[in-house]
Amino acid sequence: MVIPFIERLNLMDRIAFEDLGKQYGKQWALQGVNARFPEGEVVMVIGPNGSGKTTLIKCLLGLVKPTTGSMHVNGMPVSNDPAYRVSIGYMPQLAEFPRELTVDQLLRMMNDIRDAKTSDTDDRLIKLLNVEALLAKRVGTLSGGMRQRVSAVLAFRYRPNILVLDEPTAGLDPVSAAIVLDAVVRAKHEGATVLITSHIMEEVQRLGDRVAYLQDGHLRFSLPPGAITDVTGEAALATALPKYLAQLPQLHVESL
Amino acid sequence: MWKVYKYTLLDLARNRFAIGYALLLLLVTVGLFMLEADNTKALISLTQVVLALIPLLALVFTIIYFYNQYEFTVLLAVQPMRRQSIIRAQFMAVSTALLLSFLFGVGLPVFAYAPGPIAWTLLLTSAALTLVFCALGMLIAVRQRDRAKAVGIGLATWVFMVLVYDSLLLWLMFSFSDRPIEPVIVPLAALDPIDLARILIMLKIDLAALLGYTGAVYQQFFGSSGGMFVSLVALLLWIQVPAWAATRVFTRKDL
Repeated sequence: MVIPFIERLNLMDRIAFEDLGKQYGKQWALQGVNARFPEGEVVMVIGPNGSGKTTLIKCLLGLVKPTTGSMHVNGMPVSNDPAYRVSIGYMPQLAEFPRELTVDQLLRMMNDIRDAKTSDTDDRLIKLLNVEALLAKRVGTLSGGMRQRVSAVLAFRYRPNILVLDEPTAGLDPVSAAIVLDAVVRAKHEGATVLITSHIMEEVQRLGDRVAYLQDGHLRFSLPPGAITDVTGEAALATALPKYLAQLPQLHVESL
Repeated sequence: MWKVYKYTLLDLARNRFAIGYALLLLLVTVGLFMLEADNTKALISLTQVVLALIPLLALVFTIIYFYNQYEFTVLLAVQPMRRQSIIRAQFMAVSTALLLSFLFGVGLPVFAYAPGPIAWTLLLTSAALTLVFCALGMLIAVRQRDRAKAVGIGLATWVFMVLVYDSLLLWLMFSFSDRPIEPVIVPLAALDPIDLARILIMLKIDLAALLGYTGAVYQQFFGSSGGMFVSLVALLLWIQVPAWAATRVFTRKDL
């Protein structure tokens, strides 16, 4: 299988996967993933359910130990040393925090863990997402959407140069979703690389500098959305993607 | 580690179950002392209740709290900190909360009604039991993905240690009562932390005489300072080994 690469010299790779694979029991959730994502790029990670998106993200975050291959983050190999995660901000699909803490205490706790001074943090989202109004509330009293807003604040707060957002807009109201996506664009212009999983093709096309498509644990392609629409002659990625997939060679999944 | 500990404890301080646990223990303890005029007899009843209740509640509470915190634990694991620090902080926070509840619910009334060496033995061994079952709960929770299964294993562990193992020992003692099996019974008792705690307290209350010849052997062994030391080490091992195993499993597992 040929994986198209767009080599961009001069730009540093924020994230590099080399032959990354993860096996659960007999099943390979991820196999032979090679990819490089340079700085200042928004990468939309898409694919059917169970295609390995979450596993890929979890490998990067250090939550899952890969079975094969290696990863580099900001040019440094990822080892057991947790220090590399200083540069990563993460917004999970579903955020849960200790129920009896107030939002203010939660933010302080994260500052403490990160050894961050208040002057180092990026608090723009606290204002924009109106998390100020939630500061005195206990986490247990917040609705799901409110927790997602807090979660978004935490992801951006420490000015990470790698952002990992797992379906960031799924649990948010439309206005908050737009604010978070604006923040993504801003972070990108500031040089961050952003990995986003999404099922919303309009979002993928509008935001993505690159679409990474996973299927049965294999990275089928990693291309700019424009390349896919150009090849198929469709204007919308939502209609272009099935056409593009149809003309790709069949994937031979080795079964054990 | 201390940062996570501090905030986890802050969360636990307002936890309804932790508060309920303290109040339940207080109710039981004060109730027993009020029902029984003889404070030593009340202490004996209390010992029986506490030795059964503490392991059960410590196990179930630890398991459930760990599962409730799972998503947040994942979020912590994504921060630039070691997994060892996370699980150690959580273990210490949960055991601190359980110990404080215990000191409030049992410690205060016991020292009010019947202060003395027996009270101290009861408190220290129960505190050690709290830590033992907190560590065991942690180990069960990190090994099982399914919460209901974990609680089931916890309950089975409790029933085994509080009832089954004890009955087996008794059966063994009665079946071989005509043979000198005491040297076998003593180390066997150390394999169950609840038995270990019970024997320690009973000996302090001076009920050893009631335990017959075996009791005398127990007293000889456990009552001497050397025996006390050995049983203390056994209890500490019951804390250390599961806690170490839980840390090891947690640092290697996929979250």
